[in-house]
Amino acid sequence: MAARWKTKYTPLVLFLTAVLLVIMLFPFAVMLVTMIKPSFEIYATPRWWPINPTLHNLVAVWGEYRLAGFFTSSAIIAFGTLLANVLLCIPAAYAVARLRFPGRKFSLYFFLSIQMFSPVIVVISLFRIFVELGLINTYLAVILANTVFTMSFTIWMMTGYFRAIPLAIEECARVDGASRLTTITRIMLPIAAPGLVTAMTYTFIWSWNEFLFPLTLLRSQARFPITVGLYNFVGRFQTQWELLTAAAFFALLPILLLFFLIERRLVEGLAAGAVKS
Amino acid sequence: MSFKQRLLHPEARLAYLMMLPASLFILLFMFYPVLHVVMMSIHDTTRLGHLRDFAGLRYYNETFSDPVFWRTIGRTVVWTVVAVLVKTIVGMIIALLLNQPYRGRRFSRMLFIIPWASSVPISAIIWRWVLNHEFGLMNHTLKSLGIWARPPVWLGEPLPAFISNLWVDTWIGIPFMALVFLAGMQGISADLYESAEIDGAGALTKFSRITLPGIRHIIIIATLLSALWTFNDFNVVWIMTKGGPAGLTDILITALYKSAFEWLRFSRAAVLAVVTFVVLMALALSYARLYFKGEND
Repeated sequence: MAARWKTKYTPLVLFLTAVLLVIMLFPFAVMLVTMIKPSFEIYATPRWWPINPTLHNLVAVWGEYRLAGFFTSSAIIAFGTLLANVLLCIPAAYAVARLRFPGRKFSLYFFLSIQMFSPVIVVISLFRIFVELGLINTYLAVILANTVFTMSFTIWMMTGYFRAIPLAIEECARVDGASRLTTITRIMLPIAAPGLVTAMTYTFIWSWNEFLFPLTLLRSQARFPITVGLYNFVGRFQTQWELLTAAAFFALLPILLLFFLIERRLVEGLAAGAVKS
Repeated sequence: MSFKQRLLHPEARLAYLMMLPASLFILLFMFYPVLHVVMMSIHDTTRLGHLRDFAGLRYYNETFSDPVFWRTIGRTVVWTVVAVLVKTIVGMIIALLLNQPYRGRRFSRMLFIIPWASSVPISAIIWRWVLNHEFGLMNHTLKSLGIWARPPVWLGEPLPAFISNLWVDTWIGIPFMALVFLAGMQGISADLYESAEIDGAGALTKFSRITLPGIRHIIIIATLLSALWTFNDFNVVWIMTKGGPAGLTDILITALYKSAFEWLRFSRAAVLAVVTFVVLMALALSYARLYFKGEND
């Protein structure tokens, strides 16, 4: 049966959709036109379309803002957080999903509960702890802080995927003499790969976007990730918005691409409890 | 098997071993810091946050008798309620639009997601430029389209600044609501709508009798989650106005950060943190109850 692509409401639907899209995408449109304006057009009577469009800013920003340095820091922090997540969360998720032990339900609540804490509450004493450990102004401090706040999502996601794998598959492998470790790495993880990818992508995005922890725990500019790096360029003397919007464009690009990779599963995951019932 | 036997069963021991690293990590970097915050709130502290003499509830009394604290609380309540309300309503409208059959709706769905998919700090930075009172394109557009002849200096005056922050937070949260509502709507059987149509029901009746009841549970969970996030939105306020001018756009969470890292009053900050913690716990517990209720059905 062919889908009905038109109803009597269609014109109204399209009109409202267009209006809402203009509102929702407004700042991105501003970003796109600003980054192709020469600076003398920025600080003049405002107008939407550039008179002398140029790609100069998109190149210049790499030199003037040492963007590559910010990206490197962001990447180090994000991959570090990812690695810590894998090492800590996969065993925990497997245990909660597959093993029988007293306190199993409590453990799941325990791991989920951390999602509810606020980074701001924790950061005032994390700051102290990291001063004492000599970790202030290191990537490690930011990675550790990020990890605490991404773990619950990873454990939750992996637990769900591990649980969905039929017990029989695992038992077969065990009967064939495979060890628990082999079963996990060779059988469980490959089957649960979509879940792992989603959790890892989410962790990466989360760390990439994190602002509070690097703002508080890092001191030297050379280590700032892109979020804090760009923030520091706002409001200094005269902000060079043509460069800043170009930098913002480059900062958003990878994160948008990653987001669209996992978007469906992310929404399902976040709304899972609600959608099911 | 007795409890002890079950506890020492090889499978159980393996489970505890596998959960040990994650649990230790959480205890060390989450529960211990929270405990330490509570300690800070009942002690004098140095400018570096070291504990000194026991202070009892002195900092609590000091905070609770400060009118600025209550104004911040009031602002935080308005912030959370208004933002969540607008997110829910606009999210619902977008979900309804995306649930209509028309060519290109997958594409509009993708476009609607962008504000949520973007990095919050980066978006907030862009918004600062959009709302720039001299050169920003927001006021330029409002003026040239004749919508608002004399728009305010958005980020310079307390009320417009608060509204700006509120809007940016809302703008980021709308797509999540829309997507979750849409997912729920698509789970409602088309038969229901068809039989309603046969009975001669109009669009409004169908919405209030079929759609709304069908996604009631989702609405509750999504608004709770959203309340949690909105209450916690440090980034938008900090980047847009830093709580200024004169602390008049501060919400609880930015006031708390300022007490600690701008004024180095760690005990005061810790009191605010404990208050925040209590509020978040209340929200989180109601969320957990609803969530797991849904799971057990």
